[in-house]
Amino acid sequence: MAASQLSPQSNGVSPRSQSATRFRGCSRITDYDILGKLGEGTFGEVHRAKSKKTGAVVALKKILMHNEKDGFPITALREIKLLKLLSHPNILRLEEMAVEHHAKTDKDKRKRAIMYMVTPYMDHDLSGLLENPDVPKFTEPQIKCYMIQLLEGLAYLHDNHILHRDMKAANLLINNKGILQIADFGLARHYDGPVPAAKNGGGEGIRDYTTLVVTRWYRPPELLLGMRRYTTAIDLWGVGCVFGEMLYGKPILSGDSDQNQLKIIFDLVGTPTETTMPGWRHMPNAEGLNIIPKPKTLHQRFRAHGSGACQLLDDLLNLDYRTRLNAIDALEHPYFKARPLPAKAGDIPMFESSHELDRRKNKGQKAGPPPAPKGGTVGMGPNGGWGEAGPNGNQNYSHNDGYGRHHNGSRYPPPPPHGGYGRNGVPPPPPPDGERRPAWRRDDRPDPRGLPPRPPPPGDYHDNMRADGRYRSASREVDRPPLPRSRAGGGPNVDTYIPSYGGGEGGRRDDRRRRDDRDERRLHVDRDYDDRSRSGRTRSRSRSPVRERDRERVRDREDRDREMYRR
Amino acid sequence: MSHLSNPLATADQLYQRSNALPIEIQDSIRFYTARLTQAAGILLRLPQDITAQANVLLFRYWVVDDLMAHEFSDVSAATIYLTAKISAEPRSLRSITNVYAYLLSSPSLSLSKNPGSSSDGDGNAKVDPESYYLSEGTYITTRNRILNIEGQILNALGFVTHVALPHPLAITYLQTLDVFANANGKAKELARRTVEWLNTALLSPQMLYLTHQPASLATAAIYLAARETGVKMPDVEWWEVFDCEREELGFLVVGMGSLGGLVEREGKRWGERGMISRLGVREEVKYLNGGGVVDEEVETARLMDEKVGA
Repeated sequence: MAASQLSPQSNGVSPRSQSATRFRGCSRITDYDILGKLGEGTFGEVHRAKSKKTGAVVALKKILMHNEKDGFPITALREIKLLKLLSHPNILRLEEMAVEHHAKTDKDKRKRAIMYMVTPYMDHDLSGLLENPDVPKFTEPQIKCYMIQLLEGLAYLHDNHILHRDMKAANLLINNKGILQIADFGLARHYDGPVPAAKNGGGEGIRDYTTLVVTRWYRPPELLLGMRRYTTAIDLWGVGCVFGEMLYGKPILSGDSDQNQLKIIFDLVGTPTETTMPGWRHMPNAEGLNIIPKPKTLHQRFRAHGSGACQLLDDLLNLDYRTRLNAIDALEHPYFKARPLPAKAGDIPMFESSHELDRRKNKGQKAGPPPAPKGGTVGMGPNGGWGEAGPNGNQNYSHNDGYGRHHNGSRYPPPPPHGGYGRNGVPPPPPPDGERRPAWRRDDRPDPRGLPPRPPPPGDYHDNMRADGRYRSASREVDRPPLPRSRAGGGPNVDTYIPSYGGGEGGRRDDRRRRDDRDERRLHVDRDYDDRSRSGRTRSRSRSPVRERDRERVRDREDRDREMYRR
Repeated sequence: MSHLSNPLATADQLYQRSNALPIEIQDSIRFYTARLTQAAGILLRLPQDITAQANVLLFRYWVVDDLMAHEFSDVSAATIYLTAKISAEPRSLRSITNVYAYLLSSPSLSLSKNPGSSSDGDGNAKVDPESYYLSEGTYITTRNRILNIEGQILNALGFVTHVALPHPLAITYLQTLDVFANANGKAKELARRTVEWLNTALLSPQMLYLTHQPASLATAAIYLAARETGVKMPDVEWWEVFDCEREELGFLVVGMGSLGGLVEREGKRWGERGMISRLGVREEVKYLNGGGVVDEEVETARLMDEKVGA
């Protein structure tokens, strides 16, 4: 390379640079054949398309220009910049940007070109997959496989100083090869604190960020309590919610307001104490919040899924962000090393594509529920949809007794209000009828019910997720019955062992007590929680007691927190 | 993550630039516009890394899109707006348009070493505030122009807005070379000159930031600064440690060093006109094509370019 370098011909370009990426313009939307609408993302709708050049099927995510007076939306720019820098098998790859120019004849005010983000097409999003009636209930090896991929991706993000800030099932894409990828970086940002290290939880935050992040059902308690100095641990809470959702088959913490969200979180993991959530009293929104101490019910509720799953869920849904499991440690959790071992991604059966849009669509056709209220408030509609079939479909343990969660068109609570973000303030409205029929409900194909998804091949549950042999081989797993469990009929054991989830009128003590609470909540609003008997009713706290050292830390922190929130 | 490397221009992209305008006029446009961006960055109180990134994006944009497509100052404003927007230090369009109106109001401002100095004190009398007052109407039209160019830039760059700068690398290299322990007092000067060479190279119409990776730029700047300040470098070929080969180093040293001559040449050509505009460029091109007087100059310049390896 050397000698030629000084000659004019070489233009001073070193050969090494030949391998580097180039800057080149965006491609045109006309380079793609649009195949159909998939759903709504942070910035706008998502279409499925096929590249004319490569033949690859891709997803095109339209970037809506909301606030044109500031030029190209900053959230979109941030997302694009981040995605261009990221490269990991479990992070959705941004292939390129495509531009759609308006026809020259079109001379009205909106002359601006429309931009699309081009990513590989993924067959499902996790949320759509979970609600697709034709997809059998996830098996444990399958859940483990997805969880590992999710955690790998998140560990990579956090290690690269990135907070995702919108962890939820709908943002986890899965393809028919069983690969899970984290998507939607519209709320992601650079994280200034120290990156998580093994055995070190989430660490401490070093600066403030906006609290207007994370979709409510996946929002961690510290955010709900208004803490601004949060850490990478906020994403891990979301992972916990997603994990629970995979086990249970539906979102586990679907609050209909921020206050209600806190309440149902505390119903599940117990009310906070200085032990379980040091310094919580001094968080901004905790002021004047009276809470009747309640024990943790998580282990009871998820008992059917085994102690390993319960423990992992408990560690992820840890009220204290400092000790909440981080992604590195979560990957080492005994749950993933216990039988049944995680499935190999390639062994997970293929399903018909399922997306948020399909699911909403399906509800609209099947049960004909009233249209989603403005703002998409959740939990108001009647129990429609397919979920009612099972004996365990009726009694939702969370809020609003009796209402399942298949109520209205919009499954999602509104994303947090946005100050200054170009993001939609409300969840996407249900699509107008007749726009696109879900793949599994189209007339032009054989009834999918006649062709149930391929059951997992026998003997596919063992090991070798990774080359390093982290998961021991378990050939004995071969004789494990590979039958997919039917969603509608409820999983085996579920109804008998988890009254709060599936037992319906199980009449268990715990269940009744909870319902009383709900009634109580109806009468007095959240501020009426009484904390007189606070110390009295905490029982079965499974977390270890605080050691003296921790107490000191806690005291220090309290002081600091108080200082901080005074501002 | 590719934090330490940049996408580079292809040979085709670099050759392409010679189609419409004489090369030395293109050089003028790049040099003057980059300098305008730099001055605006100072007035906007932007950290230098953002200004530097803006100038790299500016040059990248111009190897993809036509130099004459938009007014140079508008392209400069759009790059600085875009770069600041995605950084931790965004600036409002109002501030940016104000700063550019101010800088363009008087020929001397965009050329002065310290563009801010004339507004706070002695030099004040020279600039009439009326001349850089931006009415609401002018602001709106300027803003719309800038936003339009922002879209053009993003489109041309395929939204690759990440720029890796050599400045932090250079400091790390200096630490690796242990100069701060051994150079008895001269180390600070060495570090300062290194950074100055890197900032100077940003203005070079040879677009060194588009042809060389940050590691090489940092190494060359250290080499030049060490030679200037007389700090002794290791006797061995230390640059190899930093992934820079001897020939690449030699090229960059000549390239970075040639900017002084270019500034002189530009001064002769454009005189005290301040920031150049598309109109001025068109006139100059007409003049170049018409009068035979300048042919010799053009020839010399071309030879110079070749020697420098542009």
